[in-house]
Amino acid sequence: MARTGKEWHEKPKFPETHFVDTRIYTDDVLFREEQEKIFNKVWIIACHESEIPNAFDYRTFHHPGGAELIVVRSEDLKVRSFYNICPHRGNTLLYDPVGNAKRITCIFHAWTFDTKGACTDITRGKQGYQDRFCPADASLREVRADTGYGGFVWVNIDDSAPSLAEYIGPAMELLDESLGLELEVFHYHKAVVHTNYKLWHDTNSEFYHDYIHYFNRATGMIQPGYFDRKYTGYQNGHASVGSMSIKYDAYDGGAERKVGWPGLGPGGWILIDIFPGMTFNLRTSVLRMDTAIPAGPNKLLIEFRGLGLKSDTPAQRAERVRDHNTIWGPFGRNLHEDLLGVHGQGMAMRERTDSKWVIHGREENMTIHDEGGMRHFYAEWGRRMGRKPFDPYDDNNIEAA
Amino acid sequence: MEPVEKMNTANVRAMVAELVYRSCMMLDAMDFNAFLAVCDEKFHYLITAFSPEIRKEMTWLEHDKMGMTLLFKTLPKHNSDQSILSRHATVYTISFSDDSKHADVVTVIQIYRTTLDGGATELFAVGKMHDKVVLSADGPLLLARQIKLDTRMLGIGFHIPF
Repeated sequence: MARTGKEWHEKPKFPETHFVDTRIYTDDVLFREEQEKIFNKVWIIACHESEIPNAFDYRTFHHPGGAELIVVRSEDLKVRSFYNICPHRGNTLLYDPVGNAKRITCIFHAWTFDTKGACTDITRGKQGYQDRFCPADASLREVRADTGYGGFVWVNIDDSAPSLAEYIGPAMELLDESLGLELEVFHYHKAVVHTNYKLWHDTNSEFYHDYIHYFNRATGMIQPGYFDRKYTGYQNGHASVGSMSIKYDAYDGGAERKVGWPGLGPGGWILIDIFPGMTFNLRTSVLRMDTAIPAGPNKLLIEFRGLGLKSDTPAQRAERVRDHNTIWGPFGRNLHEDLLGVHGQGMAMRERTDSKWVIHGREENMTIHDEGGMRHFYAEWGRRMGRKPFDPYDDNNIEAA
Repeated sequence: MEPVEKMNTANVRAMVAELVYRSCMMLDAMDFNAFLAVCDEKFHYLITAFSPEIRKEMTWLEHDKMGMTLLFKTLPKHNSDQSILSRHATVYTISFSDDSKHADVVTVIQIYRTTLDGGATELFAVGKMHDKVVLSADGPLLLARQIKLDTRMLGIGFHIPF
């Protein structure tokens, strides 16, 4: 029997850890708070080192906390990051997403900076500022940057945050043997979806949604080992899912994969979710990296990268590209289904749609259709936000268990 | 039909251009069998885009004729955006090989998307279509198609080839 309005709003018959109030996906105040308490406190992937291989190469990056950043490889080959803001009149310093700049010169009044963030010239400085202000007073704002875990460039807005290694902890151990060689990005695209970033990370944190994928429900779920895969939760909200062996020849039109990946068995698959919105997805011959960059509670930009080994021969690279695009490219068979799923959640959970709860109630001994990966995420979300995911404004009249 | 090498060049050009336009109409109508029927057995399909961010040419979809056939066959089984795609094509250039057995066609293409709910239309993607056409006594057939996309943000993406 269908439910009445009153019944629709009643607390789900689960422990409070097993459901959330949908306002955490739609509320603008909560989103601004997430930017401050989460995104501006944690390490975020800005790009991959292969995108800036040479001295003075740079990438620009829109940080999910709001800041516009420059990521640049300095003359000493160290990767550094700065606000992409001229300290003079607040103009954007670098306009293009990528380039090479021995000197960073603001187009507005030609103030110039080096790739270590020092101001090297203020045009007609003496005439205008006399001895009151000089280049030493006009350095760029540096943001902490570190490189690791497959050569990704991570940034952290918080000057006093723990190190990247402390933040990641043991969460990446499943990929220790697989990320030792130099990697290279061969695929990059962005997608804007009107949904909440957590819903995308949820999709990367649960495999119960394999039912949305024709190929997965037709073949993946009936493969031996599928239901044996287990979630492991780590400190700081990270989680992993262990490997299974995918029988690609079971897919219609599939073929035996020859290239493989170091440290990964034939047909292997390892997925690691890094809080709050990054996913390492290593499948057979390709590493996919998703970075969620929310622009609002119901607007999400996702950066998708596909990586191979820098040492690939053209034939090996071609096979990785094929493997990637067949499943995960913008025209692939799975990605558009995943994105359609979270797009639909975004439509259904907009403010005033009277959505109320999202349930994370499945318990299957933390195996592949258990929803423990999401529960682990929301426990960390609640800790950092100082709010209860199931009752973010303490107005649901739920007694804490 | 008259052998191609004996046909008036203008007539061959018209046939080649019409093949390109008809192929777009077939895909718009999702008449995939008709589309495959105008593809040579050695047909090769490619969607590419250049990423300034990583400074690389990317391949986003690549299939031979069998791969295209399988893709079309499984389309109804997927959960996909059901918006209607309209391909607006303008043939820019047609050039012929020295032996008159092939034609290379460059076509500019815009793909519009029309929603099912309300019928709002938006420009979805722009790019160029590079076709290689085999000319035979039975008429022209598509031997290869490469869609070079300028547009790289495609929202949730699409499983239907352009």
